[in-house]
Amino acid sequence: MSLRVDVVEGFSIALKSLRAHRLRTVLTTVGVGIGVATLLAILGITQGLDTSFEKQLASLGSSSVYVSRMPWVQLGNWWEFRNRKLITLEQLEAVRAQCTLCATVVPLLDDDVDVSFMGRELVGIDLTATSAEWPAVSTFEIDRGRFLGQADDDNRRLVVVLGADVAQTLFPDSDPVGQSVLVGKRPYTVIGTLAPKGKILDSSQDLRVVVPFSTFRAYAPGRRSIGIGILVSDAGALDAAEDQLVGILRRARQTPPDKPDDFAINRPDQVASTYQQLTGALYAVALGIGFITLLVGGIGIMNIMLVSVRERTREIGIRRALGARKRTIVVQFMLEATVVSALGGAFGTAFGLFGAKLVSWVSPLAATVKPGTIVFGVGFAALVGLLFGIWPAARAANLDPVEALRNE
Amino acid sequence: MLISLQGIRREYHVGGEIVAALAGVDLAIDRGEFVAIVGQSGSGKSTLMNVLGCLDTPTAGSYVLNGKDVARMSDDELADVRNREIGFIFQAFQLLPRETALANVELPLVYRGLPAKERRARALEALEKVHLTQRLHHKPTELSGGQRQRVAIARALAAKPSLLLADEPTGNLDSATGAEIIRLFEALHAEGNTIILVTHEPKLAARCPRAVRITDGKIVDDGPGAEVAFRDQATGQLRDEAHS
Ligand SMILES: Nc1ncnc2c1ncn2[C@@H]1O[C@H](COP(=O)(O)OP(=O)(O)O)[C@@H](O)[C@H]1O
Ligand SMILES: [Mg+2]
Repeated sequence: MSLRVDVVEGFSIALKSLRAHRLRTVLTTVGVGIGVATLLAILGITQGLDTSFEKQLASLGSSSVYVSRMPWVQLGNWWEFRNRKLITLEQLEAVRAQCTLCATVVPLLDDDVDVSFMGRELVGIDLTATSAEWPAVSTFEIDRGRFLGQADDDNRRLVVVLGADVAQTLFPDSDPVGQSVLVGKRPYTVIGTLAPKGKILDSSQDLRVVVPFSTFRAYAPGRRSIGIGILVSDAGALDAAEDQLVGILRRARQTPPDKPDDFAINRPDQVASTYQQLTGALYAVALGIGFITLLVGGIGIMNIMLVSVRERTREIGIRRALGARKRTIVVQFMLEATVVSALGGAFGTAFGLFGAKLVSWVSPLAATVKPGTIVFGVGFAALVGLLFGIWPAARAANLDPVEALRNE
Repeated sequence: MLISLQGIRREYHVGGEIVAALAGVDLAIDRGEFVAIVGQSGSGKSTLMNVLGCLDTPTAGSYVLNGKDVARMSDDELADVRNREIGFIFQAFQLLPRETALANVELPLVYRGLPAKERRARALEALEKVHLTQRLHHKPTELSGGQRQRVAIARALAAKPSLLLADEPTGNLDSATGAEIIRLFEALHAEGNTIILVTHEPKLAARCPRAVRITDGKIVDDGPGAEVAFRDQATGQLRDEAHS
């Protein structure tokens, strides 16, 4: 008999047997289902996190570099970071003068401010104080009006550019350009608005106001470390630009040669990988749990198949007496295990995807599901069934037909 | 010659001892014969049937079936021989309980790899021979003992085997139903089938053209059924029952 006939016949026997033992089938299915659901929920959330985070980081500019006293992702000695020297305007000027791979260099200062207009108020939003070239570095675009100009900075004008969410909230149905809003305690004239950009890890990029660097320095005195935003002349030169920046800054800051860098060069492209390193271990543990659950499900299947073989010993004897080859019996039982397992995989896939969606509804984590994940869920479960079905199937095929027929 | 057994032994290890269920059997059976095998319980009749049906492998001796040496066959080849050459009929019917009569009869044809249509036609033909066309879609539990055994006979016939092996086929039936089954075998024999029938009822054996008596795994008598069934082993005389 051909393998094709074995498979067709085995498949129909498997379905009949599963239908005859509905409760058992459902219970076995649950084991594998939970494993697959766990795996898929984890995979779904992982994929969601990665894609949304990558998208968000891309919004920071793929050829941009940000110099700051503290790194964005702080790993290591917090005290060492605290004690670092400030980054000053002189150091920024050194970068501007010496960095040949830097196309644009802007100063940066951040703060939290309250912004209000005609009784509408936004509390604790991001303030960015910078210069005219900032949009090139940050890849923000202007929606209405204009961005800051050199003259605004030189003259410390009280002018402000509103982020999209700020403009939308304070001016739901009027043009903000030309209006006067309170930023902190002072009235600023709105000269433009930014096009919306979305979120990074659930914090809106558009809930911000941008004011001239020197205006902010004048009205918010005190020694602060500034940030330096840099657009590199070419995305391929990021590494070279970073090397150059390290040299320039170490010289400007007089960092002793035996000491490590006392400043951070943040690269959005590398933050992603740091982030993935951090979360990778977490995922590995979660995946491990998923696999163990699946393993338990697989052992459940093996157990049920051994019971099934024992129960159907006489049936096996009959089939062998009528001319079934060993292979026919093996295929029959392996298919049965595979079908139960794939069924569990299908349920598990449904639940896993539902779980991932649930997580994305109730938390800021975004779960995306690639179609391949579904194929993977069902396929992987089927594979588990196939593997854990081998031993029971081999036992069934190797039964002595005479003994099997005598079985009650 | 359809069957030729020479020096067949089948030994079992039981608690360190060797028990010979068959202790050197020589037997030749021709195509078209109807042979009864008689003997007391435990004498080795079933073991002999299993060896003849290629379901069991002898410990020693040679078995030539249809000119082929069974000892040289692989497990797959033995399965194919059972599928094509042998039709088994068991005392306990051995039907698949969840399948209909028709599906049970089709089963050996499935293993032969026949297409569904041909399977169906051959199964119907076989069920007709056992007068069971009214019960095609009944499951074994919905059939009487006699009907079940007729399904089993149809299943054995469906593959058109060279040899029908029936191991106490009337053992689970009342005498009237048993007699019906035996008449069916006689009809099948008349059509040219080769039949070997194990029975411990001398009356049934007496109706067979030839009978073989087996005692302690050895053939002790072989001859016309009516004689072998009633011959006293100690004296060689026919017992009174033969004349009653
Ligand atoms: N699997 C086995 N293990 C040990 N002894 C067995 C086995 N099968 C059969 N026998 C022994 O072989 C002998 C013949 O058995 P069997 O062929 O079933 O007899 P019958 O069918 O004539 O009643 C008996 O003594 C029985 O106990
Ligand atoms: Mg017996």
